[in-house]
Amino acid sequence: MELLFNLTLNGLATGMLIFLLAAGLTLIFGLMDVLNFAHGGLFAWGAYSGIWIYTTTGSFVIGIIGAILAGFILGMITEKWIIKPVYGNHIQQILITLGLMLVLSEMLKVIWGPNQLTANPPKYLQGSWEIGNMIIIKYRVFIIAVGLLVFAGVQFLLKKTKIGLVVRAGVMNKEMVQALGINIKKIFMFVFMIGSGMAALGGVLFGPYSGVIHAGMGMEFAILAFIVVVIGGMGNFTGSVMAAILVGLSGSFMAYYVPELSLAVNMLLMAVVLIVKPQGLFGGKG
Amino acid sequence: MKWIINNRVNAIYVIIAAFLLLLPFVYESRNMLILLTQIFVFAILAMSYDLLLGFTGIVSFGHAMFFGIGAYSIGIFMKRFEPTMLHFLYAVLATILITAIVSFIVGLLTLRLKSHFYAMLTMALAGLFLVLAEKWRTLTFGNDGFTFRVPEVFIDRTNFYIICLLSMIAVFMILKRFTNSPLGRVLQAIRENEQRTESLGYQVLHYKIAASVVAGVLAGIAGIFYAMSLRYVNTSVFTMDITLDALLMTIIGGVGTLVGAIIGAGLIEFAHDGLTELAKEHWIFERWIIFFGIIYILVVIFFPLGIVGTLKKFTWKRRKQESAKNKENLAG
Repeated sequence: MELLFNLTLNGLATGMLIFLLAAGLTLIFGLMDVLNFAHGGLFAWGAYSGIWIYTTTGSFVIGIIGAILAGFILGMITEKWIIKPVYGNHIQQILITLGLMLVLSEMLKVIWGPNQLTANPPKYLQGSWEIGNMIIIKYRVFIIAVGLLVFAGVQFLLKKTKIGLVVRAGVMNKEMVQALGINIKKIFMFVFMIGSGMAALGGVLFGPYSGVIHAGMGMEFAILAFIVVVIGGMGNFTGSVMAAILVGLSGSFMAYYVPELSLAVNMLLMAVVLIVKPQGLFGGKG
Repeated sequence: MKWIINNRVNAIYVIIAAFLLLLPFVYESRNMLILLTQIFVFAILAMSYDLLLGFTGIVSFGHAMFFGIGAYSIGIFMKRFEPTMLHFLYAVLATILITAIVSFIVGLLTLRLKSHFYAMLTMALAGLFLVLAEKWRTLTFGNDGFTFRVPEVFIDRTNFYIICLLSMIAVFMILKRFTNSPLGRVLQAIRENEQRTESLGYQVLHYKIAASVVAGVLAGIAGIFYAMSLRYVNTSVFTMDITLDALLMTIIGGVGTLVGAIIGAGLIEFAHDGLTELAKEHWIFERWIIFFGIIYILVVIFFPLGIVGTLKKFTWKRRKQESAKNKENLAG
């Protein structure tokens, strides 16, 4: 019981981190038809800049804010200078975002050195609660809470605000939105920045969760995020949160029972989805 | 011999090939020999990548997977059994079989969907193979890798150099023939306009899978030579770096031109060699890949045709102008 509970908690926390990465990917894809292969790089940048600010200022909250800001700025630069010149050309887009990924992760090594950085949760999030004989690690609960908060926030933004309405309309039909006199280019940049900010937030939360951060982690998480995006359906925001939880849980349970197969199971799930329902498990357009 | 005399470009190829063939007998430098061998091996990989990217318009981010399958096949066969020619042939056969099956399955799963899916699935699958190579320690010895002996013919560096060179030339000619065949023409049509090709009655999926399988098998063969040149194999053959190398070589050299892939391989390997030397002077050169990343991004935005493609475009334009002038002169 205890074990099951802990594995579930662990899986949910990992799932939330993957969700923060995958949500941006899927939103950007849905709206702009761009699959951003550099998204993992933004995740790693969020982690490095956030942890760096956190260790220099000593405040975790400032670190998180710094990471999100770094994500926004990088997202803006990426959209403006890297993605914009190649809108509409799929192959060039895929190629260029991978090139950016390369540059981003190498830049990390140039600025912060090639070695791993260590990170610990702040004092008030260290340790655990004990309820009966169950041990609940505080930091994991914190990650899950933040993830749910972000989910609710983005959901509110999409469903209840004017800008969300425009974004949803843009996903359905870009040309029509433009014809109605809305500057879709501005919306593109806005969504790209939000997505990058979420990825950066995921990165900085991941730091204290795993204890160490390294430049290669962007790529590792990006692969999981791609799996999530495919399972949840490309461009499907609600699908991505469900798929992220699914992948997180299956990862944590498999890692305990059959560790050799943990990545393979997720891959298999993705392959099955690709064969049976390429538009994603949770409906929506393909 | 007519095709040599009639075509200036072919004549240049023949001269360069002859020069490279004679090089080890006149200029004895072990380092140079090893570097050139490496270039030939990566040229095969880059050409196979070019078949996908440049000729069919498919982006793969998991090409390292096929490369690694080849490298591990030869390693395991040579380690487990006697290093004889027969076992070498078995290893080649195994490589061809496995790479063909894997690329077929990947193609079948994703090539009917948008181009992002192929890129994603290959990337994820390559990651899976990397994990497999790390975890299946009894067969692969994990991260440390293992050394192995090679058949006698391949021991001598000069011999191996010539074998690699000839293989590269063979792959070049095969792919040249392949891309100019009716099948290759259909592939190029798919690159230019998939819907139109489909509406002309071609089963686009079948052609794409064929390209994917050929590219996968050739990449596997490149992997075999790579492992044999080092006589050592470890998990690095499955990493993203190999895919990125192939990508950089193809893009910088020029997509859709085969020769561009060879030139790109030469450039990147020479630059890698030179910049590693420079790293002793200043640490920034240790991160040499960053320069290539930036060049790569600029090339994709401003010169999507790469070196060879851009040169070709210029000569083509000039020729057109000249022929227009000639016509004017005739008319006048």
